[in-house]
Amino acid sequence: MHISEGVLSAPVLVTGAVLSAAGVFIGLKKMDYEKIPEVAVLTSAFFVASLIHVPIGPSSTHLVLNGLLGILLGWMVFPSIIVALSLQALLFQFGGFTSLGVNTFIMAAPALIAYYIFAFPVRKTNHFLCALAGFGAGVTGIGFGALFAAAALIGTGEAFLNIAKVIVVVHLPVMLIEGIITSFCVIFLKKVKPEILEVNR
Amino acid sequence: MSFGYANGRKIFNNLNFSMEKGDRIGLIGPNGAGKTTLLHLIMGLLKPDSGEIEIFGKVRKEDRDFTEVRQRIGLLFQDSDDQLFCPTVEEDIAFGPLNLGKTHEDARIIVRETCEKLGLNGYEKKITNRLSEGEKRLVALATVVAMHPECYLLDEPATGLDEKTTQRLLNYLRENTHTYIIITHDLGFLKNVAEKMYVLSDSFIKEL
Amino acid sequence: MHLEEFAEGNSFFHRLDPRVKFITIIPYIFVIAFMKGLNGPVLSLIISLVMIAFTGISIKKLLSRLVVVNAFVLLLWIFLPFSYSGTEVFQIGHLKATREGFLQVLSITLKTNAIVIATIAILGTSEVFSLAHALVHLKVPDKLVYLFFFFYRYISVLHEEYIRLKRTMTIRAFKARTSIHTYKTYAYLIGMLIVRSYDRSQRIYKAMLCRGFKGKFPIISHFHLTIADLCFGFLMTLITVLIAIISKNG
Ligand SMILES: Nc1ncnc2c1ncn2[C@@H]1O[C@H](COP(=O)(O)OP(=O)(O)OP(=O)(O)O)[C@@H](O)[C@H]1O
Ligand SMILES: [Mg+2]
Repeated sequence: MHISEGVLSAPVLVTGAVLSAAGVFIGLKKMDYEKIPEVAVLTSAFFVASLIHVPIGPSSTHLVLNGLLGILLGWMVFPSIIVALSLQALLFQFGGFTSLGVNTFIMAAPALIAYYIFAFPVRKTNHFLCALAGFGAGVTGIGFGALFAAAALIGTGEAFLNIAKVIVVVHLPVMLIEGIITSFCVIFLKKVKPEILEVNR
Repeated sequence: MSFGYANGRKIFNNLNFSMEKGDRIGLIGPNGAGKTTLLHLIMGLLKPDSGEIEIFGKVRKEDRDFTEVRQRIGLLFQDSDDQLFCPTVEEDIAFGPLNLGKTHEDARIIVRETCEKLGLNGYEKKITNRLSEGEKRLVALATVVAMHPECYLLDEPATGLDEKTTQRLLNYLRENTHTYIIITHDLGFLKNVAEKMYVLSDSFIKEL
Repeated sequence: MHLEEFAEGNSFFHRLDPRVKFITIIPYIFVIAFMKGLNGPVLSLIISLVMIAFTGISIKKLLSRLVVVNAFVLLLWIFLPFSYSGTEVFQIGHLKATREGFLQVLSITLKTNAIVIATIAILGTSEVFSLAHALVHLKVPDKLVYLFFFFYRYISVLHEEYIRLKRTMTIRAFKARTSIHTYKTYAYLIGMLIVRSYDRSQRIYKAMLCRGFKGKFPIISHFHLTIADLCFGFLMTLITVLIAIISKNG
């Protein structure tokens, strides 16, 4: 879901940067100093998890898990993701600093949506509904991510319409897989370490 | 004092334990007996379910009460990676002294002295997570030593250290410290450092 | 995990002050990102290549990195030439590839590579930790910088935990397939990783308390501006202004 450097138009880049800056600002306000290690090490865990490739038919996909991260972190998902993407930009030049704002928004905004819709049911309900909410969070994270990426491209120019469509279609199976994995993950966490889900964000 | 982790079994049931200034104590016990837990309770990182903890002649209950304890007692964590969270060795060692209100100049001097004492010269600028396990162990100890505590709580300090480095650690403990509790599974090492030995098992602690 | 492969070396770029690096590269890459047409992008790609030549980074390593970065650009080459109206170059079925489309995608390709190569030359040649340090001095919110420090510090620790967990799966004959069992196993692996990271963060926080943490992180500063830094800063500013003007007029 990364959009490379040099592709997007100036208005799109600026809009993305402004929106993400606002998200990061709110996220930092909600993150006390003593919370920093927790958010940071969790981000490290998700960074490592994103290196995992899961098979999908004859091909494979790497995991994003932004829906799950959203449920765990709420608004703090913005600082978490911008930090992870900065490192990627530094080390792998995957995405980069001019598109950092847009790419952060593409991943973090869906995570926040997943948080507002699904964090409550994940915490409160029985196992079946909790699994369903987990699935929803995974689907939301990727689905909206693909939509926002498509919107950024179309916003750059009509010519990008076809690529935008392809991006959305390609992400459909990924949505399904992230949904399944997030669902099992949430059940696992609820069993093994419920306090991770309980914390007030 | 009694303690159990949230949604876990009771680990201590009416445990009684005391130590005096100048005690050099070795603590052994099977895995999961609660040795680490005991040290964390002493530092106020965990709070007992019932009973009291009295340190330096004062009963300690709230986090506030433990601020002084944490300045005067130094805890070496079982896992060095927990303790070394700063980018470089120098910053890690300076973190404690700076928090205690030392100036940057003083902190730098403390870093140098501590490194000398523990044979870590030349490590100041190194990146902590690129050190070997044994080196991390020594640097973690250095971060504790740099706070000049009166009493040390050392959670398996010698794991991952080779013979020569273990010897260096022994010398350091003999010459520069008076009061400590050392947890270890290495009885040979314990004989060299401890004057009293305690066994912790089945939520009881008894002297050998 | 070997992450900072370009940071090793002792070229002019490796020795520059990270603060100067940030101050100069941000305007430079944004000017490139905002460019249209071909003149500006060609010129900035040449400048970026000159910079990378000074770093002494091996061409092989650089190319392998660029291949990955250009994957997305490749996708653009398949679609964009057919998405602009203008002078026809060739036709497949009823799809018409135009000169305007090709120019557009060529411009993007040049911009992408100019930005990426400059990023490797300027930022890639510093250690990540010293770059993060520089950000504190450049008034980036300190919470964000500490978040970055801790995050980067514990990646390798968690990566080792991941390898250990993965190994226990492998020795129990786990084989990844497209099946619910596979996804469930990965989910539990990730769940375990999250639990471990949470537990570890609690222990780290305890270790901070033990060392008198009161809500602020002291920072030891050790940057010193040199003449070379100032010269580089001046030169880069000049170049940035120049390419901005040239791309505007051309
Ligand atoms: N954070 C935690 N949450 C719940 N239970 C815990 C936690 N930490 C430890 N325990 C449990 O408390 C018990 C005592 O743990 P502790 O770490 O104190 O043992 P230990 O004596 O130090 O063992 P070892 O020799 O393996 O280091 C164990 O049964 C462990 O499972
Ligand atoms: Mg222990």
